Amino acid sequence: MITLTAPAHGDEFSAPTPNELFDLPPLIPGVEWFTKPVLLAVLSAILVIGLTWAAFSKPKLVPRGMQNVVEYGYMFVRDQVARPFLGKDADRFMGLLVTLFFLVLVWNLAGVIPVVQFPVASHIAFPAVLALSIYVLKIWLGIKHQGLGGYFKNMMFPPGLPKAIYVLLSPIEFLSNMIIAPFTHAVRLFANMFAGHMLLAFFSMVGFWFLFEKLTPLGAPVGIVGVVMTIIFTGFEIFIQFLQAFLFAMLASMYIGGSLHAEH
Amino acid sequence: MWSIPSYLLAGMIVYGAIGWLLDRWLDTSAFFPIGTVLGLMLAGYLAYRKFSR
Amino acid sequence: MKLAATLLAAEEGEFNPLFPHTYELVVGIFAFLVVFFVVGRMLVPRIQKTLAERTDAIEGGIKRAEEAQAEAQALQRRYSEQLEEARRDAARLREEAREQAAQIKAELREEAQAEARRLVEAAHAQIEADRQAAFAQLRTEIGRLSTELAGRIVGESLEDEARQSRIVDRFLDELESSNAQAVR
Repeated sequence: MITLTAPAHGDEFSAPTPNELFDLPPLIPGVEWFTKPVLLAVLSAILVIGLTWAAFSKPKLVPRGMQNVVEYGYMFVRDQVARPFLGKDADRFMGLLVTLFFLVLVWNLAGVIPVVQFPVASHIAFPAVLALSIYVLKIWLGIKHQGLGGYFKNMMFPPGLPKAIYVLLSPIEFLSNMIIAPFTHAVRLFANMFAGHMLLAFFSMVGFWFLFEKLTPLGAPVGIVGVVMTIIFTGFEIFIQFLQAFLFAMLASMYIGGSLHAEH
Repeated sequence: MWSIPSYLLAGMIVYGAIGWLLDRWLDTSAFFPIGTVLGLMLAGYLAYRKFSR
Repeated sequence: MKLAATLLAAEEGEFNPLFPHTYELVVGIFAFLVVFFVVGRMLVPRIQKTLAERTDAIEGGIKRAEEAQAEAQALQRRYSEQLEEARRDAARLREEAREQAAQIKAELREEAQAEARRLVEAAHAQIEADRQAAFAQLRTEIGRLSTELAGRIVGESLEDEARQSRIVDRFLDELESSNAQAVR
């Protein structure tokens, strides 16, 4: 909302541009690195640590209050993210997967929290560092558990295909697993948050412009439509933000699982 | 399931690049789209074999 | 589509959303590592331990309940076995009593029959003896009467004892053989 009030170019309504929405100035003039997404990234990290600390620092056998809530999230990650791909190794990687899921979820939800209203993951740097960390871990685990040759052989020559076709498919496997996968891992999250923020900004801008800036009898219905769409898309965005956080952790789990055991 | 897009993308890039190189080498313009479509089909086949089980 | 459009639009200005800022990369990795060490390394193991303990507690509770149930069942089985045994004993005693009673009754009946038989036999013997005695007496009486009768009829006394006796005997034998059929 703070940023949306700024771009009033004149009498004509203009849709918000990516520059206005995502290229934000430093919060303190002169301290160039200290922008809104940076502040939100740090605050989200502190929030995740704070909530988890409140819940799990002295866990009780019979959960109460905060522990109940965060434990629910933990169970969700364990049963939906970790166990389907890691099986008996799930507990070893729960720390990483819980961190990923909670952090990305809070980063995403920042996009619909009033006043804050900026999804941290819509700046590609944040998904990128997470995806890169997973990528390094994936290759390290793969080489550790399957051996250098075995890892690449299992990756590029999955069993169950006609022999002649390996020549054609192995380059695809290699490129997909080694280069495209981490890229799509990060970009999927980034693009969803980016587009979602654009949509929300557009509809709230429509509502703001036609109901407050230039209130006219003709424009008012358009403004109302903008407000209604903003509400609808906020609900939709919450779902997408949750889904993307889940997917991000799930893909991480899938990559780790693929490195631990060769594909069947 | 969710890694299918990266397979399709990889297929298009690998065979699109081969087609593009062939085009440059032979001074044609047909191999790049052919390679891209072929790569998409191959990647689709690979993804189908991997994930339909 | 929107993404492609924004990418094109962004190339005109200096802002490119696909190009990460260095400071954001640093802050991102820093935030991730801090959260990972506090949440992933310190807090998750604690909740895992608690969850394991909870599982143990629940399983322990189930086990205790199962033990109590097994004990109750054993006790019940023992009781029902005892009851069954008692019932069997009672049945056995009853059967024995019935057998004894039957035996006693049979013995008594046997004894009574023997007694009756004995009485009958004694009576028979008595009758036979009486009959014999009566017969012997009758014989002498008849002999004397016949002799007297014959003497009176013939008018002479038969001195010869032997002859007399023989006549009488013959007479009596005839009498007896003809009588025997009549008496029996």
